[in-house]
Order: sequence, then C-alpha cells, then structure tokens
Amino acid sequence: MKKAILLTLVLAVVAMMAVAATPIKIGAVVPLGDITGDQAAKAMRLAVAEINAAGGLLGRPVELIVIDDELKPEKGAAAIEKLATVDKVDFFVGGMGSSVHLAQIPVMKRYQKITIWIGAASYLCENAVGPDADWYFHLHPWDYQQGASYGLGWTELAEAYPEIRTDRIFLAYEEGGFGTASHESYVALQRLAQQGEGAWAAIMNDYMGVSFKSAALGGGDYRAMLQQAKTYNPDLFIWAGYDADALPMLQQAKEVGFAPEFFVGAPPGWPAHFGDSPLAEGVTLYGMWAPTINKVSPAAEHFYNAYIEMFKEEPATYFAPLGYTNIYFLAEGIKAAGTIDKAPLINALEKVEYASPIGEVLKIAPSNVIKHQGFTAQKILQWQGGEQQVIWPLELKTADPTFPFPSWEGR
Amino acid sequence: MKIAKPLLILIVLAAAVLLPIVTEAYFISIAITILTFMTLALSWDMMLRTGQLSFGTAGFFGLGGYTGIIAAADFGVDPVIGIMLGGLVAGGIALILGMAILRLRGLYFAITTMALASVFMVIIRNLHRLTGGPSGKIVYNTLFNYDSNKVYWFMLAIAVGTVVISELFQRTRIHFAIDSIRADETVAKSHGVNIYKYLIFVFVVTSIIQGVIGATYALQYGFVYPESSFSPHYLLLPIAMALVGGIYSTIGPILGAIILGLSSEYLKLIMPYGHLVIYGVIIVVVVLFMPDGVYGAIKAFFMNRKRRLEER
Repeated sequence: MKKAILLTLVLAVVAMMAVAATPIKIGAVVPLGDITGDQAAKAMRLAVAEINAAGGLLGRPVELIVIDDELKPEKGAAAIEKLATVDKVDFFVGGMGSSVHLAQIPVMKRYQKITIWIGAASYLCENAVGPDADWYFHLHPWDYQQGASYGLGWTELAEAYPEIRTDRIFLAYEEGGFGTASHESYVALQRLAQQGEGAWAAIMNDYMGVSFKSAALGGGDYRAMLQQAKTYNPDLFIWAGYDADALPMLQQAKEVGFAPEFFVGAPPGWPAHFGDSPLAEGVTLYGMWAPTINKVSPAAEHFYNAYIEMFKEEPATYFAPLGYTNIYFLAEGIKAAGTIDKAPLINALEKVEYASPIGEVLKIAPSNVIKHQGFTAQKILQWQGGEQQVIWPLELKTADPTFPFPSWEGR
Repeated sequence: MKIAKPLLILIVLAAAVLLPIVTEAYFISIAITILTFMTLALSWDMMLRTGQLSFGTAGFFGLGGYTGIIAAADFGVDPVIGIMLGGLVAGGIALILGMAILRLRGLYFAITTMALASVFMVIIRNLHRLTGGPSGKIVYNTLFNYDSNKVYWFMLAIAVGTVVISELFQRTRIHFAIDSIRADETVAKSHGVNIYKYLIFVFVVTSIIQGVIGATYALQYGFVYPESSFSPHYLLLPIAMALVGGIYSTIGPILGAIILGLSSEYLKLIMPYGHLVIYGVIIVVVVLFMPDGVYGAIKAFFMNRKRRLEER
C-alpha cells in the first residue's frame, strides 16, 4: 500500500513538473518584410524575453512563434492554420493589413482561440468578426473611431487654445483606395456635422476634398491641388497619401506660397529622417505613439530603452509599442486569471488595466460590433525641432502646438 | 507502357483526392493555394499558346471575386452558384472586350490587357452601393462554411477541369489552329484558320477560368477588397510558375505551381527573414539556366538519354 501511495505521489510530481515545463505558446502573424510587422515582432520578442526572465507565467515559460503573412491574405490564413494545427499554440496575436485579416477571420472562427489583434482597422473586419466572438480582442482603434478621435482632438485643442479654428477643412487625398476611403469618411463626418451630430459637429463648417496622384504610384505633381487649396484658404489642410508624398508636397507648397493654419499629414508612415528636413517644422500628423511620450510615460520610457538595448535600433513605428502591449496585455490577463483556460481568462482580460507604452492605460470596452475593443483614439502630433511632439490628448501633451504653420521664409 | 501513363494519372489523382484524410488543415490550406495559382498559371499559359501575351489574369480574377461576393451578399445566392456567375461575368466581359482588343497584336495587346485590372478596379471603387467602394465588401456565408476539406476538393475539381480543358486544347484540332496562329498568322489565315474566332474563344475560356478561381478565392475567405482582389500578385506569380515549370504545356505550369508553392512556404518556415530573396533567386536561376522550364529540362534529359541508348 505504501509503495502504491509513493508511486502515485512520484507520478503526480513528475506530471506536475512536466506541465510546469510545458511552455505557454503564443502564435504571432505579422508581415515581417514591412517595418510595422518587423518592429511589432521584435517588440513581442522583447516582451516574451522580459516575462521569461521574470519567471514566466504560472510557473511556465512563454514561447513565441512568429509567422510572416507576407501581406497576402492566403498566406495569413495559412499561418493561422499552421499555428493552430502544427504548432498547437494557445493564443493568436498579431495584426496589420485589413485584407489579410479578413481572410484569417473565418479560420480563427473555426478554432476560437483567444485572439488579441493589434492591426486591421477596417470596420469590415469588425463586421466579419461579429458580436458573438467573445474570444476576440482588438487593440488598434477601428477606422471610424480614428475619425471620431481626430474630431474630439481638434475640439479639445480649440477649447484649450481659443485661437485655433477648424471651420474650413481641405482634404487632399491620393486617388487610390486609401485616400478615397479617407475622403468618403470626411464626407460622412461633414454630413453628420451639418446635422449637429458626430465628433466634428461643433468644429467643421465647410469641407472640400481634392484628389491627387501619389508619388508612390507614379504621380508627384501637387501644384494644381495646392493652388485649389490656397484659393479655398482652409484652417486645416489635411493630406492623405503615402510617405513618398511628404517632402515633395511640402516643397511645392513652399513654391506656391501655401501655408495654412495647420498643415496636417496622415500617411501610414513617414520618410526616414523626415524630421531632419527644415520643411518638416510645424507639420502636424496623426499617430498612436512618438518617442517623446517617454517624457510623460514611465512605461513608454522603459519600453523604448529596452527595445534599443535588445535590437540596437530605435522603434520607429507605433506598431512596436503596440506589439509589446499585445504580449503584456495577454500576460496580465493570464496572471489575473491564474489559468489559461478560455472562460476565466476572457473574464480576466475584460478587467485588465494595463499602463501601456502607447501612453494610455489599456482597458477593454465594447465597440460598434465586438465586445472587446482596446484603444479607441489616435493622437495628434506635431514635428517640432526634429521630433514628434504630442499636442493631443492634452493629458499626454509633450509640447504646445505651433500655429499658425511657420512661414516658408528661411526654410 | 500504354497503361503506365493512365495508371500514373489515376494514382496521382487518387492521392490528391485522399490528401485531406492523411494530413493537417495547414497542409490543406497550402494545397488550396497551390491549386488556385496552378489553375491561374495554366489559364495564362493556354492564352500564351496562341502567341498572345495576356496580362489580364488579375483583372478577371478580381472581377470573378466581386461577382461572387455581390451575388452571395446582395442576392443571397449560394456560394457555388456565385462562383459560376463569377466565371460567366468574367467570360461575358472578356467576350465584349475581346472583340475589340483581340484586333491588337503583340505588345499592343499585352499593354491593353495590363490596364484591365486598373480599369476594373477604378470602376469598382466608384460603384459604392454595389461593391462597397474602396472599403470592399464581405459575406458571412463563405464557401462550405470554411470547411477546408470541402473547399480543397472543390478547388481540386476546378483544377482537374482546367487540366482537362488544357489537354483538349493540346489534343483536339484547336491545337493545330492555336499553334499555327502562334507560328505564323499569315500562313494560318491562308490555310483557312479563322484567327479572330479562335483567339476570342481561347480568351473567353481562360477568362472564365480566371473568374471562377477569383470567385472561389473570394467566397472561400468571404471578402473582396479593391487593392487585394486586383493585386498584381494574381498575375505575376502565375506567370512565374508557368515560366519555372515550362510554358506551352499542361505539365509545366502544374510543376511550376507545385515547386514554387511548396518552396515558398518551406523557405518561410526555415528562414522567417529574407525568404523572399531566396525565392526570387530560385525563379531567376531556373528561368536563366532552364529556359524551357523544369518540365522542358526533364523532357530534354529523357530525350537525350533515349537518343544515347538508340545510338549504342
């Protein structure tokens, strides 16, 4: 009898040790050939390294498996299949392109593993996920939330700085899908504003949109559009194009002598060393993060320094702190739940409040369709002295806004 | 010897049909992608056999995708019917366009077909209510509710159907017409070949195939998105597959699709960073050192061996 009890105990200890040694597997799908995916993956590795150095989660090490989606829908879907069936991961994380994510959603629905996604801002992705997917957490703001957050930002800026006016808005949009979608969303926002509804209700009186051919797609002559903008005389001049448009557009604005109150750029990324150009001074931009947030957020400062130490390069896109947040948000949930079982973990993730390197505290709330939405706003930033400064949200402000847009003389 | 070839085809076909029973969903998903691009590569090659270089593959692929999604989302049509409609619309538009653009030859025809994807994309982006505009469109009832095994068998059936059509083009009298058009149009015309009729016929058939594949792809994942559905990826990869495998044949594009489809996935797994560079190098090396593709090189090897044996 004693032998039997001893044997059972030994077997139980061995079984417990085996479980303890089994890693918690996180499967990430990102586009590694793109700076957003590359830096997000690196930041995820940094987070996993820190967690493992601190003893792992629930006494188990954490393993991160990263697969490149090559920004192709079928590759993104296959990556989810591989993570689920070959690597047998416990969770899906990752993000970026909306079209890739749309192809992944039917596969994710089949496996219904807890998924925490940091990209894919299109509202179509939210509709495709649907209201019943309680296993799905989305951290990046949806496109309609971004539009609303800019409205809120300019409203608060106009309240804080009464000289700021945003009555007349001119949107220069590249003629492709990205720019056209931006124009359509501004048209919808103006329609709402005219009815006294929406985030732009109090601040947008008139709107004009003019398309241009992006330098990234063979264009690059913006003079006609800039002349139209100059004649329109907007308070906010916003351009929705690509990084290749940034410097030539500013150069041509200088040529035609167009200097609006605010010169706002909304490309997905900026050219390397854009801040070094004298033309960049005073340019306003939208984004989720800037290195200057280090001044107001200890979490951002820790992330920034740790990232540089590990990879010997600066994080240059907000997907880096978002990738880091992706892992830590899940880790906080696991710690709070004390298990990786689905139901209690979903419950715990709903209650997590994580001080992220993005600047804000990440909390989960429902959005238009899904139950679990994380961040809901972008930030309004401005190039000042070669750095991106946060001018809104006011509680994360790192500098006062420079306006009106500085004169072209001497630049 | 006569029985060996049909037997081999039967074994390959049986293995392909039984694949989902012996493997994981991941490999099935890779196989579906390979079949998708294999069919596109074959359809591109079938048009090339007439001597006309068409770059319209991505355009008809996207058109089929949009038709399938609109049919399923707005008219509640079953995805399989939506796929057939995708083929029909692509074929119908190819017929109308073909009547004009198939008067062109060589570079002029190639450039005109290259513009098709952009033209279709601009039109679709501006038909907001129907197509969802620049945001795209989704459908909730995906093909077989994303049962990957059923999707695989469906794709396999389309691929086998395309192989049969390709072989019919190689073995029936269409073959003589197509080959003579490619070799010398004037001679073909003087022999009574109705060049225009044959070109339109091949253009429409290959466009139907591309439309069917586009609709299958779109309904498998349940979405269309202008930049994604008309991506040059659906033109360039099939061309690369046909070139690597060997053009002007049925086996060539099949081999090319298998080689590039598997190597792309394998390279990615062993080399997460930089795998696309190696992949590109493979394509360049094969095209440079095997101008007739892998199939051409294999054929040449066996012919040389046979000749050497006969000489002994």
